[in-house]
Amino acid sequence: MKISIEVNGKAQSLEVEGRTLLVEVLREHLGLTGTHVGCDTSQCGCCTVLVDGQGVKSCTMLAGQADGCRITTIEGLGGQSLHPVQVAFTECHALQCGFCTPGMIMSVTSLLAKHPNPTDEQIIEGLAGNLCRCTGYANIIAAVRQAASAMAGSAA
Amino acid sequence: MHAFEYRRAASLNDAVGTLATDGDARPLAGGMTLIPSLKHRLNQVSQLIDIGGLADLQGISVQADHLWIGAAMRHQQVADSAEVARAAPGLAQLAGLIGDPQVRARGTIGGSVANNDPAADYPAAVLALDAVVVTERRELAAADFFQGFFMTALEPGELITGIRFKLPRRSAYAKFKHPASGYAMAGVFAADLGAAGLRVTVTGAGGGVFRWTAAEQAWAGGSSVPTLEHPDLLEDIHAPARYRAHLAKVMCEQALRQLA
Amino acid sequence: MSAVPASETSLPGVRYARREDHRLITGTGAFTDDLRPEQMLHGHVIRSPHARARIVRIDMTAVKAAPGVRWVMTAEEVVQQGAGSLPNAFTFPGRGGTTQQVATMPVLAREQVLFVGQPVAMVVADTAAQAQDAADLADIEYEELDPLVTTDQALEPGASQLHPNVPGNLSLHFESGDEQAVAEAFARAPLISRHRVHTQRLVGFPMEPRAVIASHDASTGITRLFTPSQGVTGMLKSVSAASGIPADQIEVLTYDVGGSFGLRSNPYSEHVLVVLAARHLGRPVGWTGTRSEVIVSEYQGRALTLSGSVALDRDGRILALRFDDIIDLGAFSAGPSSLIGARNLSVTMGGSYRIPALYMNSKLVYTNAVPMAAYRGAGRPDIAFAIETLLDHAAHEHGFDPVQLRRINFIPPEAFPYKTANGTLYDLCEFHRTLDRALELSDWAGFEARREAAARQGKLRGIGLACYLEASGAGAVPADTVQGDFDEQGQLTIYGVTGASGQGHETSFATIVEQELGLPAHRVRYAAGYHGRALMGNGTGGSRTLYGAGSAIVELCARIREQAQALWTELGGAAGSSPELASWIPKLDAAQRARLSAEGKAQSGSTFPNGTHVAEIEIDPATGITDVVRYVAVDDLGRVISPQLVLGQLQGGVVQGWGQVFCEHAIYDERGQLSTGSLMDYALPKAGCLPAVEAEQIQARTELNRVGAKGVGEAGCTGSIPALTNAMMNVLRRQGVAAMDTPFTPARVWEALNPAA
Repeated sequence: MKISIEVNGKAQSLEVEGRTLLVEVLREHLGLTGTHVGCDTSQCGCCTVLVDGQGVKSCTMLAGQADGCRITTIEGLGGQSLHPVQVAFTECHALQCGFCTPGMIMSVTSLLAKHPNPTDEQIIEGLAGNLCRCTGYANIIAAVRQAASAMAGSAA
Repeated sequence: MHAFEYRRAASLNDAVGTLATDGDARPLAGGMTLIPSLKHRLNQVSQLIDIGGLADLQGISVQADHLWIGAAMRHQQVADSAEVARAAPGLAQLAGLIGDPQVRARGTIGGSVANNDPAADYPAAVLALDAVVVTERRELAAADFFQGFFMTALEPGELITGIRFKLPRRSAYAKFKHPASGYAMAGVFAADLGAAGLRVTVTGAGGGVFRWTAAEQAWAGGSSVPTLEHPDLLEDIHAPARYRAHLAKVMCEQALRQLA
Repeated sequence: MSAVPASETSLPGVRYARREDHRLITGTGAFTDDLRPEQMLHGHVIRSPHARARIVRIDMTAVKAAPGVRWVMTAEEVVQQGAGSLPNAFTFPGRGGTTQQVATMPVLAREQVLFVGQPVAMVVADTAAQAQDAADLADIEYEELDPLVTTDQALEPGASQLHPNVPGNLSLHFESGDEQAVAEAFARAPLISRHRVHTQRLVGFPMEPRAVIASHDASTGITRLFTPSQGVTGMLKSVSAASGIPADQIEVLTYDVGGSFGLRSNPYSEHVLVVLAARHLGRPVGWTGTRSEVIVSEYQGRALTLSGSVALDRDGRILALRFDDIIDLGAFSAGPSSLIGARNLSVTMGGSYRIPALYMNSKLVYTNAVPMAAYRGAGRPDIAFAIETLLDHAAHEHGFDPVQLRRINFIPPEAFPYKTANGTLYDLCEFHRTLDRALELSDWAGFEARREAAARQGKLRGIGLACYLEASGAGAVPADTVQGDFDEQGQLTIYGVTGASGQGHETSFATIVEQELGLPAHRVRYAAGYHGRALMGNGTGGSRTLYGAGSAIVELCARIREQAQALWTELGGAAGSSPELASWIPKLDAAQRARLSAEGKAQSGSTFPNGTHVAEIEIDPATGITDVVRYVAVDDLGRVISPQLVLGQLQGGVVQGWGQVFCEHAIYDERGQLSTGSLMDYALPKAGCLPAVEAEQIQARTELNRVGAKGVGEAGCTGSIPALTNAMMNVLRRQGVAAMDTPFTPARVWEALNPAA
């Protein structure tokens, strides 16, 4: 079946199967391998992308469900420059192996869209759907605070 | 996954009709339970008919004597709804505790209630608020709806269109999250339904949601929450039954403290 | 090849913590599954559903006939292709001069299966879905047998034998130290304490699932293998040995790796199967594990039972220390489990303490569970855990202050270099310094007041410390070697074999070069893995890479400096002056630049990272939930090259230790089925589980290698497992709980505090 999705600002028309997952569309059909698959019980969050602005686990969404949606992946977040969340992640050393990082960055972007000045509790709850095995999370939390600050500063 | 067709329902009738004629078709709303189970090849379907976008299943509205939530409303929508926060704060609180942010963006109340996972959150609210589960063909009282471990009164092909909750005077939900799955190890919903009385329901601790009448009586009488006694408490590698019983008590106390 | 690793980009105005970061934060890294070549075929592995069974019959007829299937491999095909078993890297002599009895894992099961998840067959098809659908048609008949799930069961007299060459299921009965001297000390000792720890089986869980892609070039006869590894050389050697394919016909390429923690240092059946399939079919073949599949089949960590006894004099001085250990090898020796059970436990069995008599007696046992292998620390966190909890136990039992008991037993500064009673030579460690500072930072002295305040709020506060010491990896090859070339922009590219999986080598190595040569770090590139140069070197692991490969880089810089000086002088540079490399090298022609190419070689053995960690926790008795209120780490890691990266390693390691202490446990039931087969049941640490570690390092340079560093990769969990446990026991003992195994899940803690009538 055919689906029409907008991915990182570009319209795509694709032939998929009923059972094709959104993450497979991104990784295999479109070659956008920045979005990763880390588990099979929809818990690790490595596959998180924005669908119509909200963080969603692309491994748990069918391509058909994404028909007509606007998708943003890690590749489309910064464009020519880096998004403040990406900047905060490197400046705060909030990544080590980098495998969970794209999904983590997309979740944080979604969190900050909803809570531009999040409390610690909101940050922790906002990261509940993303697992990291390397960093021990402290720098990720610091990166969220730094990004929030930077985005508030530029919004002022 | 085994192969299947995917199609968006054009209308509620279209969905109902498809489910009636194809016994191997299944409805798809959020997919937060169905898609993982298909990925694990735990079931096989001929087609998924996507009802998530159907207008008939959308909407949150407060009427004189009830709160209506459309079956396809996402958990995040319920959690963020000003109307739900006003009309039944415990329900908004509950929706915000389901899963994680990404799951809440997609999972639906209809899907959760139809699945009746014994550790899911919504059944506690549906039972506590004396809700009526409305399908395309009839209405089912909460007390009759939940029939145990992943079982409900729904007939094959029957679709929930929405849930009609009684308006509580006060309501609160307290949940102890399972350290791995994030489901309820014990979730307790407390509701004061005014003339209809007090309700305390428990999810996660047993084979399905149940009313905890001893706790209701204690609440009514102003005495402390008793020890939970229930024949069907879950005992597994994570916790013995008596811990879950204890958690239910602690969560009940937490919920009641919020209402004080 | 559909993708190559992104070249380094970085944008101005961004203070990148690391060179690696730009590609990783933009999703342009190259993890193995990202590299799917055109026309790649897909493998699907059929695994044993039983913990122990005889294979009666395998009939793959229907599988072979299924749509899209290109090849079906069972043990028969594997043997026909000249392949055999996954190699065992280590053996040790046993008690009384006995020889270790080793059972290696067949690439595909022959005749019997010995753990749930053991590979039995592989189906290669055009698509992953076709391979899986075809696999469903396999007709395999098993005769189930009673599994020996625990080491107790395996060691029981009369227990059935899992391997024909391993009587009593005992692979090795190993000992270290002096049994007689220890027995005599115990006989004389006025005070004795005993304490047993069991480190439960853990799933290592690097976030990138195991993956292998192989591509064969018939014209050269070379098969390229893409896979996450901890160093291409070791993986190459093992895959060659297991597959029967000569090493010069295989190239291993490792680009970005999503975490290792020790698990990527050994090959798996899939590595061999995918290589064989690519060669047989003349098409690229790939296999990426699902998470459930990886959980059930990836080798597990820890799995040790360490029973310690300590003999003390009336002042608390340790007279002797003895450990009796049981090591759960799992079903096969498929990784460094013998190294863990023999060398790693014994080498630092005395910890930070001056102990005249040491003895360790270890039994390495086969069971019907997935093989045990290296996981962050590989036995050293376990022995530190055993020592530090034993000391707290002894302190409590005999009325000593736990801090004082450690102080009077520390190896004093004047005793270094110190040779332990069982032969390990430690270089200078300053235990008092890290202890004093950790006590100060954590406000140890003020704890009682905090405990009482918490008690008034109905919470149970505890504090615990660990004065750990560990031995980093000794190195498995004679030397670490690197080579370096300059390009026309004056950028130095260093080639080495050791690869990172999050450690930030590309950054810290460049920093070393900047310190040694004055060349700005951004002009230095580290290329890990095979680049057509046969280099000798250790893989990443054992916390030794920064100083191991780093020392070779220091040597490389010395060679470059010499060669540059010689060329400079030749080209008319003023006597007594030296070139400023960054501006000088771009002016050279190619021939001149080639004269600056050099090799650096260094041999570095073990170092001894050590420190004092203090954990303060608060238990909510109503739920059993433990909150870590504060975590302090004062470590001696030698010279610190990249402070931010070191802090990151500490935080990550401490949290992995937290996972072991509070929530992780790979549980097998009585039939040997893994009950915790997914994240629904296997709990991993989540954001918020631990506050930011308050960390300081004493920065005392070690003379044991050219870099002066001791390593940090495994220090975090080596400190946190005992510190957190001691903090928990600080509470639990007061509540009448004498001993309790990890994990301290809320349910178990509550049960311990509220025992059933």
